[in-house]
Amino acid sequence: MTRRSLVRSGLGALLAAPLAGSLGAASGGRASLRPRNGAIRRRQDDEIVLGVSAAFSGPSRGLGTELYRGSMAYFNHVNENGGVNGRRITMKLLDDGYQPDPCVANTIELIQDDTVFLLFNYVGTPTVTRALPVLKKFRDQQVYLFFPFTGAEPQREPPYGEFAFNLRTSYRQETAGLVDNFLSIGRRRVAVFYQNDAYGRSGWAGVREALARHGETIAGEATYMRGTQFGESMRDQVEILQARSPDAVICIGAYQACAAFARDAEDLGLHIPVANVSFVGSENLLALMREGRADADSHTRFLVNSQVVPSYEDTSLPAVREYHELMARYDPPPPDNVERITPNEPYETFPQSFVSLEGFVNAKLITEIIRRMGDDPQRSGIEEAVFNVRSYDLGVGEQVRFGPDLRQGLQRVYYTVPEGGRFVPLDDWETRFGLS
Amino acid sequence: MRPRTLQGEEQILRVRKLFRKTRFGFFSLFGLVVLAISILSISTVSRELRDEYVSNSESIAKNIADSSVDILLNRNLATLQSLIDQFVQIQSIRYIYITSDTGEFLAHTFIPGIPEEILASDPAATEAVERSLPGLGDFIEVGSPILSGVAGTVHVGMDLEALGLRTRRAVGQQLYLLCIILVTGVLASIWLVNLASRPLAELLGFVVGLARERDGSKNPHDDVLVRDDEIGDMARLMQYVASGPGGSEEEAAGGSD
Repeated sequence: MTRRSLVRSGLGALLAAPLAGSLGAASGGRASLRPRNGAIRRRQDDEIVLGVSAAFSGPSRGLGTELYRGSMAYFNHVNENGGVNGRRITMKLLDDGYQPDPCVANTIELIQDDTVFLLFNYVGTPTVTRALPVLKKFRDQQVYLFFPFTGAEPQREPPYGEFAFNLRTSYRQETAGLVDNFLSIGRRRVAVFYQNDAYGRSGWAGVREALARHGETIAGEATYMRGTQFGESMRDQVEILQARSPDAVICIGAYQACAAFARDAEDLGLHIPVANVSFVGSENLLALMREGRADADSHTRFLVNSQVVPSYEDTSLPAVREYHELMARYDPPPPDNVERITPNEPYETFPQSFVSLEGFVNAKLITEIIRRMGDDPQRSGIEEAVFNVRSYDLGVGEQVRFGPDLRQGLQRVYYTVPEGGRFVPLDDWETRFGLS
Repeated sequence: MRPRTLQGEEQILRVRKLFRKTRFGFFSLFGLVVLAISILSISTVSRELRDEYVSNSESIAKNIADSSVDILLNRNLATLQSLIDQFVQIQSIRYIYITSDTGEFLAHTFIPGIPEEILASDPAATEAVERSLPGLGDFIEVGSPILSGVAGTVHVGMDLEALGLRTRRAVGQQLYLLCIILVTGVLASIWLVNLASRPLAELLGFVVGLARERDGSKNPHDDVLVRDDEIGDMARLMQYVASGPGGSEEEAAGGSD
């Protein structure tokens, strides 16, 4: 059983709804309760339901969970203040464990059984890549996927680009930025460590293209299987790359495997910068690498992570200040009643993280889009509403722009390094990672 | 109807000895048949399964090649990887890789890296080859060109160990059936030999009885005289011989064809 609705007890939901009032807010971040059975389902004109299929279990559950928490912090705030044009915004959560097949099944369920208004906050390239054809199949229902937590190309390009809207920048842009910076400090032999699936390949392709622009090729590559845990050895991968004598490694993976690789690279003497893209979940990665180590700072000194949102410590930005305030006020707990693929284990949340900040700005923008759709939002009006966001200040220091030929709202990439147990902005590549 | 004396039992034993070579012949013949069928079966099954594997691999490689054209031309390598990831879930397919027209590896399923043997091979080769990859196993690899090779080549590796397992299973089932036939045949031959030797045992018993008649006792096996076959003829002939010059010629010839 790999897919189940967050709450199966539809009757209980109906009983609970009047008591809860604004459930998302009242529950401090609990997912929406909606009956699944068509016989007892009723149209709720006072709410807008966003369908979410994401990793709430398995080795990447930190990503789905933090993304959800960030979004819930904002939705709770919106719902507490009367919702959008009188409607509360809730999320219908389904767990796919970061696996493609459950994601496909969840997407069909969300569209057919739950008739959500739109799809939101999906996590991962292998999952989203497989869900996109489902959107094409149901194109007559005009269901769009908003702000997936992936920078891959399939949802940005034909034949599926027209069914998705992205807020974050692409892996192509992230990897290009990393490559450009490495090459600018003389680190020309760039290797790639990647998850051997659509996500890893997307990042690999980005590195390849960026190097090709400089007349370089990938110095070496090693792969791992999706779902690899931190406890597993990456010795083989490190040795494969060591044999190629790289100057830097760009990792395209999830936090468990990338933390394991960075740990083994350090232990086996591969003392070169190890870069990760935004999907990795920086706080989850750092927490794993620092766990139980007295020399945690020196152990993580070669890490550099690209981000698609500004630092959550940059409180000069209005969105970051609001994020701090709402995360502190609501402190949304992880969804606790998603039926899980893997056994439930305690999950320790982060007060702030890049992933939850991304979830927060995703929620902020989707709320604005829904607000622009007026009192009676219809799916048929979604695309037009998004295209009307031509220059919107989200409060992250960059204007959000959409248009018929621009389905990605933000373009900036940020670079961060660990300092004192947190990721902070990297200003000087030469000083930190220069060959001299 | 059998002689009750130890002597008579010894004579029955002699009859069994008489068919020892016959039984041995039966066993040998059945054994040879089973051995020949087994060898033929192993050879046929393994060859046909291998051909089927190669054929399936070629079909899959061609399928991927046909599906890859637009994806490759759109430079959408994530979708290409997603495509081969789905195919590699098919039983017995252990790896897939796609090379460009220049020999670059565009997508693959190897973990933790592309084996040196693969890196050193001809990226445009499409004929079936057997590969032994250290740490991974033995494989049959086939290739299929994408857009006649100008867009690249798809390579599919099928697990020879899985092929061996399937072959062993198929041959094992046939051998199981042959063993049942062998055992049934041997048991049937024993029964048939016993059936054939029984009249001879009766004849022996009769001859022993004839010898005892000289002591005045009645032959307990004289019912063999009424048999309408060669055993009956022989019994009557022996009685005639045993009765000496006074015996009737009719008695000796009686009833027989």
